[in-house]
Amino acid sequence: MVQGLARDFATREILPRAAHLDHTGEFPKDLIQKAADLGLMGMTVPEQYGGAGMDPVSYVIAQEEFARASAGVQAIITVNNSLVCDPIVAFGSESQKRRYLPGLSSGKDLGCYCLTEPSSGSDAMSLRTSARLDGDAWVLNGTKTFVTNGVEATICIVYARSAPDPGAKGISAFIVEKQFPGIRVGKVEKKLGIKCSSTAEIILDSCRAPKENLLGEPGMGGRIALATLDGGRLGIAAQAVGIARAALEDSAAFARERRQFGQTIGEFQAIQWALADMATRIDAARLLMYRAAYLRRQGRPYTKEASMAKLFASEAAMWASHKAVQIHGGYGYIQDYAPERYFRDAKITEIYEGTSEIQRVVISRHVLGAR
Amino acid sequence: MDTIVCLKQVVDPELPQWDFAIDPATKRQVRMGKPLVISTYDENALELALQLKEKTGGKVTALTLGPQGEVKDAVRLALAMGADEAVVIDDPQSPQRLAADKASVLAAAIKRIGRFDLVLTGCESADWVERAMAPFLAEALGAACVTFISRAESRDGALSVRRTSEEGFQTVDVRLPAVLSVTSDEAIRPRLPKVKDIMAAMRKPVANWTRADLGAEDAGGAKGVEVKDVSIPERTTKVEFLEGEPAEQAEALVARLRALKIL
Ligand SMILES: Cc1cc2nc3c(=O)[nH]c(=O)nc-3n(C[C@H](O)[C@H](O)[C@H](O)COP(=O)(O)OP(=O)(O)OC[C@H]3O[C@@H](n4cnc5c(N)ncnc54)[C@H](O)[C@@H]3O)c2cc1C
Repeated sequence: MVQGLARDFATREILPRAAHLDHTGEFPKDLIQKAADLGLMGMTVPEQYGGAGMDPVSYVIAQEEFARASAGVQAIITVNNSLVCDPIVAFGSESQKRRYLPGLSSGKDLGCYCLTEPSSGSDAMSLRTSARLDGDAWVLNGTKTFVTNGVEATICIVYARSAPDPGAKGISAFIVEKQFPGIRVGKVEKKLGIKCSSTAEIILDSCRAPKENLLGEPGMGGRIALATLDGGRLGIAAQAVGIARAALEDSAAFARERRQFGQTIGEFQAIQWALADMATRIDAARLLMYRAAYLRRQGRPYTKEASMAKLFASEAAMWASHKAVQIHGGYGYIQDYAPERYFRDAKITEIYEGTSEIQRVVISRHVLGAR
Repeated sequence: MDTIVCLKQVVDPELPQWDFAIDPATKRQVRMGKPLVISTYDENALELALQLKEKTGGKVTALTLGPQGEVKDAVRLALAMGADEAVVIDDPQSPQRLAADKASVLAAAIKRIGRFDLVLTGCESADWVERAMAPFLAEALGAACVTFISRAESRDGALSVRRTSEEGFQTVDVRLPAVLSVTSDEAIRPRLPKVKDIMAAMRKPVANWTRADLGAEDAGGAKGVEVKDVSIPERTTKVEFLEGEPAEQAEALVARLRALKIL
């Protein structure tokens, strides 16, 4: 039934605007508020903190529906849910939960996740942003880059080095409100796809965050960042599955209608095989995603499985959207049809929250049993 | 205003045409493996019931007849949207039955539920389009009946409804209890339930009755009506090219359109 709600919301509210949002890059503020009103911005946040109290399997099912309509809109929603609400639920103090989760769930606030820096992407644990305790406040200095929701967000999860230890050890996580002194939005990126979600630089210039806004313990930031990404990768897997499904659905419909050489193109075996392969890869991706989400629901480790789901789903999305453009021929290349959007949107799923190469690093570590 | 809304689950009418198939044995649409939804106008009826409840208070009960395993979602959705209570009458054969029979079972269930001011149905089901349920129910319950209503307003205990007809609309004052069949209106847009209402709906009790519980085991209401055959209408398109200069083509076109009685 959650799927029904997500699908109805996606087809009624998101889909009719997906092309426009892609062409203009507008942030769909009202749409996000509607999502929040239905309980879709704090889906897995416990009810006592204003969330919907949903389980991780229902979560990915719903995310797939949003992404099927618009990967850009889904990116905005999944970041707020997975990358911002999740770590506060998992690592926040009681007062942090009570202070931040209701607003993030109700649409009053929007969250963003600030890990990447200009010189630390895949090697996130080498980050340089610094945090220093000064009386009753942490003072943060540094520049975060490629922050999804960076422009509109009011609550930022910021990772910074609070001790001289190199690597993950010295990193701490902080809840930083945009209204704190010393934080501002820098360059706003122009990009290939997911255009209606903003991607921005966040500059911390002696930004002061109250002492109690440390998330978890000092030095726990690396762990928080990675645990959060496990969940986040499920959101990206769902995004990829949604895009791939859109590519398949549009292609199947087109193949039934489009006639060449006196028959529908769906009667050519070349097209049939492409559709069959798309359908099979999408199902495989979805099942990997369900498995990882199911493990998470049971409270079991799911790092490897989340990486597998994200890796496979994102490559399936890239492949399927590429096929969709091809099946549509010239129509696949022009903006009146959606496949070129799927093609552009799909690419990001192979990059953020760990590139495909990094997913392979994570998976192979588990395979080899190395730490 | 206590309202009972009858909800039928049908194969999603939004499915593409090529997904539509008829089972030659039952002479009914194939349901197996297809997504089921609350029939379009029934969902409108539910929305109208909820709007009336918000204005005048009272209770909304969702009532559905069908194979129990299949119809659970319909009543859960109704509860999530705001219905107070839900009743499922289990009848694995119901997709094969016609309106008269089903009406007798639903009427028995409505009598068992007891007090009601209104019974709402959709004006037609999205699959079978018999348009018969509301009149049958009204007859069985001895209630007033107005079909194809698009609006309803309660005024000191009485109800004024707008009935849509081919010529326009009629405003009808109805005595209660009444059975109304609901069509569409811009003001009736079925609401999306909130996630937390969906979760809460999972915990609300649903009454499960059988036909036997209602003494309707062999209602035989469909006697005298038998479906002999059903078929999917075939639509063919033919393209004709008219030869010649533009003036000749125009003349030929007019002649053809006259011959086809289009002009
Ligand atoms: C639209 C968008 C939104 C984003 N949103 C966010 C956000 O909200 N928050 C956030 O913190 N970040 C965000 N990011 C950043 C994103 O997570 C990083 O871009 C990504 O992790 C890759 O880092 P990088 O760009 O520095 O590339 P690099 O790490 O420099 O990688 C360059 C290439 O080298 C490869 N490579 C690197 N290391 C290895 C290795 N060990 N083995 C093999 N190959 C390797 C990579 O796979 C890649 O192909 C976003 C990025 C984009 C484009």
